[in-house]
Amino acid sequence: MSDQPRPKTVSGAKPEIGHYDDFMEHAAHFLYRAYQECGELAEFDLFGAKHVLLSSADAQEAVYRASDDQVSAAAPYQYMVPVFGEGIQYGAPVETERQQVRFMSDGLRPKRMKTYAQVIAEEVEDYISDWGDEGEKEFHDTFKELVLRTSTHCLMGSEFRHRLNDEFGELFEQLEHAISPEAVIDYQSEAEAFSTRDEARARLQEMLMKSVNERLAANAAGNEPPTDMLQSFLDARYKDGEAMDHELIPGMIIWIMFGGFHTSSNTAAWACLELARHPQYQREVIEEVDKVYGNGEDLSFAALRELPITEGFVMETLRLHPPLLTLMRQVVNQPFEYKGNVFEVGTNLVISPYVSHRLPEHFPDPERFDPHRPQPDHLFALIPFGGGRRKCVGNAFAFLQVKSILTALLSRYELSLVDAPESYREVMPSLILRPSSPCNLRYTRRK
Amino acid sequence: MKIVADLDLCQGHGMCEDTAPEVFRVVESEDGSYDQVEIILHEPDSGLHEKVDSAVRYCPNRALKIQ
Repeated sequence: MSDQPRPKTVSGAKPEIGHYDDFMEHAAHFLYRAYQECGELAEFDLFGAKHVLLSSADAQEAVYRASDDQVSAAAPYQYMVPVFGEGIQYGAPVETERQQVRFMSDGLRPKRMKTYAQVIAEEVEDYISDWGDEGEKEFHDTFKELVLRTSTHCLMGSEFRHRLNDEFGELFEQLEHAISPEAVIDYQSEAEAFSTRDEARARLQEMLMKSVNERLAANAAGNEPPTDMLQSFLDARYKDGEAMDHELIPGMIIWIMFGGFHTSSNTAAWACLELARHPQYQREVIEEVDKVYGNGEDLSFAALRELPITEGFVMETLRLHPPLLTLMRQVVNQPFEYKGNVFEVGTNLVISPYVSHRLPEHFPDPERFDPHRPQPDHLFALIPFGGGRRKCVGNAFAFLQVKSILTALLSRYELSLVDAPESYREVMPSLILRPSSPCNLRYTRRK
Repeated sequence: MKIVADLDLCQGHGMCEDTAPEVFRVVESEDGSYDQVEIILHEPDSGLHEKVDSAVRYCPNRALKIQ
């Protein structure tokens, strides 16, 4: 036997299923236990598939900097193919997928971001205009509704947004239900959630294609093209000069919605919950917001960028409550080496922002919410959006959106808890961490 | 002031180009993936420092560094 280092194995594996039961019960807690038991590298097993959790900024950097032909994102995420569609993202060759994410980045250029900032600010103002002097709301559902409006407006334009009904949100929820630990094991099984997924996807295709065709007709009629993601996708060109097949555009919209919808609405809900839990920090954020409003500035892109205290608050929210529990890669082509450990082809490399954000070497007293924490120097320590070339392309958009919501709210209202502090918990009904339901908060008009 | 870009991190958002066009340019990449930053002025004179600081601060991916 060589004395080559290898990861420790997490305790509690059962025959055949491995650690699946523990993972299913609460994946975040399971992964945190894995780190506590094993340290930087923790091996576990899900139905015979080998997984290694890597928990250190250096290990995260090594994975995020590795190229697609060393570690594949497509391999572990094949269960997303029925959600976005063949020909899109991991249902396309990696050379095509790389160009499709460039189309997204093109749609998020500064000129467009400035327009989105305005759209979001108007939507938020409109949404809270009838809230009155005080009241209570369930903030998780409230922000789901609001972010659905803002994001469809920025993505699909105002006609689609104003046609929006409950069906669109419900269809999305059906897609999301199919993203579960069961899907990770077998996303093509006969389970009901998967046939519901396929029906929801087909209906979304129909709804979104209608808007694509309307836009094409408007463009052909010589109308000024609006600034939104749909137009950006229609204008996009692959490097050979070809446009996207129009039938694929609904998949692009679903993909970007999936990345941004519940992740942003959850983060806004968590941020409000933390504001209500910490009145002293809430005062600091309000003071900063008042400075911007006090100057008579509107919530422009530039003004929203200059809110370091609010930004620190959102970042700390994302640290403690990262919406995505894990980011996976699979070793392909040849074994992947990290600090002398050799991971064979087929091994799933798991990075968990939930665990990484609790590493005491970067975040002392990690469970304490502290918006004054300095950002760690290591670029790969704080990773709510992942890292490297595959980092979430919408991260600046997400910040813009959440800051826009918070500033509009706090310029009018103070937030406080309705229920006993300990009743607000962190739950994981799907692979997204969210506040327990109901997440009731009280808002009171500021004096 | 000397500016360096970490191209593993750049996704071609163009925030830097928008903030300090004298110093940064975003160019198409060969394989059609994300556009990439190109630093036109590696050692800009002091009149541009403030703009460059903003560009570095606003990069969504912290791909720029001042050495």
